[in-house]
Amino acid sequence: MKDIFFDLSVRSVRLNFLRSLLASIGIVIGVVAISSMGMLGTNMQLSVKDQLSADVNTVMLTSDVVKINSGLGAAPSTSTIDQSTLNDIKGASGLNDVVPIHHTSTQFSVGDQNGRGSIYGLNPSDVPKFLTIQDGSNIRGSDVLVGATLATNFNLVVGSTIKIGQKCATVVRPVVRVAGILAPRGIAADGVNVDNGIVVDDTWYTNTFGGLDQYDQVNVVVQDVSTINQTEADLNAKVNRNSDVVRISDASSRLSTISNTLGTITTFIMAIGGISLVVAAVSIFNVMMMSVKERVQEIGILLSIGTEKGEVRRMFLYEALILGIIGAAVGGFMSFVIGYSVVNAMIGSTQYFFRPESLVFIPYGMIIGVVVCVVSGMYPAWAASNMDPIDALRAE
Amino acid sequence: MDRIMSDMPLIRLVDVSKVYHLESGDFTALDHVTLDIAENEFVAIMGQSGSGKSTLMNQLGILDVPTSGELFISGENVAKMSSLERTHMRRDIIGYIFQKFYLIPLLSAYENVEYPLILKYKKRDTSGRAAEYLKAVGIDRDMSAHRPNQLSGGQQQRVAIARALVNDPKILLCDEPTGNLDSKTGLQIMEILCDLHRKGKTVIIVTHDQKIADYAQRTIRLADGKVVAS
Repeated sequence: MKDIFFDLSVRSVRLNFLRSLLASIGIVIGVVAISSMGMLGTNMQLSVKDQLSADVNTVMLTSDVVKINSGLGAAPSTSTIDQSTLNDIKGASGLNDVVPIHHTSTQFSVGDQNGRGSIYGLNPSDVPKFLTIQDGSNIRGSDVLVGATLATNFNLVVGSTIKIGQKCATVVRPVVRVAGILAPRGIAADGVNVDNGIVVDDTWYTNTFGGLDQYDQVNVVVQDVSTINQTEADLNAKVNRNSDVVRISDASSRLSTISNTLGTITTFIMAIGGISLVVAAVSIFNVMMMSVKERVQEIGILLSIGTEKGEVRRMFLYEALILGIIGAAVGGFMSFVIGYSVVNAMIGSTQYFFRPESLVFIPYGMIIGVVVCVVSGMYPAWAASNMDPIDALRAE
Repeated sequence: MDRIMSDMPLIRLVDVSKVYHLESGDFTALDHVTLDIAENEFVAIMGQSGSGKSTLMNQLGILDVPTSGELFISGENVAKMSSLERTHMRRDIIGYIFQKFYLIPLLSAYENVEYPLILKYKKRDTSGRAAEYLKAVGIDRDMSAHRPNQLSGGQQQRVAIARALVNDPKILLCDEPTGNLDSKTGLQIMEILCDLHRKGKTVIIVTHDQKIADYAQRTIRLADGKVVAS
């Protein structure tokens, strides 16, 4: 059965087409803002998750002790993991690979170009355990590996040379040769962010920077990812048995921290998008109140000839619903197009855009748009249904 | 007094007053009005402007409730009815014909007549009753598809009469039904109303035109909210 009150609402919307269209545009903007911001945030999360989950089999150990340099008022220096702790780690790790890592940050020069980046000192045999050499060969002596971004930025190829250390007229800086270029890693969950760094032989590193038998970080690469929690517990029991010597973390906890942070950011940007829906709600409210004011006499006729208050309310709520559905439908389509463009522009890839957890923001935005419309129409509908029919009939 | 009284005229007003509380003070629009209107009566209500005709009409049409006194329609005490019950009584027992026709502008003539049927039966009319009533008042099929603003005053009033009759009400309340019509069309409308009275309807007509009042069996005259002749 075709509801006559729905018919009346449709006709009223058609009669005031331009006004209704303008009100619906507010909803369209709101739906697009919420949906595309939600999709952008989710695509960011998915992208980061995928990058980090490649390293979920790694347990990271860093020193939990802050060394105080001798001397009054001296600043605390970065603490390290010593050889005896490393032996404990190796003992607790069983058959899993243990990768001790030296790390510092320094300046370097490639020809006339100066830069700053991370230097990682690794045993050459540990490199293939978690890094991929894209071009060239492994580190040896003063032959180093450079990250993909660094290689691109400084036009480095196999055989290029790099001067390590701060440029100084009086000091001769050590020169290394690029033996190989590493594959891009993105945001590495194991803490070894080599894309913009240089990986050197650990002996060369300690000869140059010092820190023999003092490691900045130790990574344990577990063979079976399901045993990671047990491995962490074993490491904790062995190494931190007397006091907290090392801080133990794994990629999954970092993943969860980063995901939570990105989730919060997504909610925040969606809330900003939601402000446009509040503006739209005010616009719908205004249009509905105008509709009620313009139709006072008609409402009077309806009430006087026996229309129930609930039926009058329904008629105006239908009108709000129609505006909401039109706005949400157009907004849903626009969200798809604009969301795709925004994700492509901001993330540089749309490989996660068609995932259900990304696209679900379109129906979410549409539902929110319709609900906002109906809620905005509630007071005008209530006001219409509670009019005094005598006063309403007298209105011109 | 009980809510439903059997053995009572179709309409009974007992000491009915309507007082409006205005900033300038209380204004008594109806002052202790007591009267009966029997079923199948043709009654004219006359009076000067401000005499209380419209207020009485609103009371009889259950668009308003008395400040004091009791109003019985079809044996039911209106003051003791809920808002929804009064709405249903307006829909089922009373047919309204207004001076300004008051058709629903967004609906066609046919839909305007069908509308009370939808209110009552909660579904679109498939019985052909709306078309039948339109035909009875002289509105043909082509004309019934027109919106009110595409019809002449006389045609609109015919549609309004068809709308008032379609739910087969006991009472027809007519507020200056010929006031916006030329004399020839007004005469035709009055003939329709007389015919409806002959067919058993109770017709109450508010007018200031003695010629119109002459069609009625009885004339109730109001002055300053009081019945001065009945």
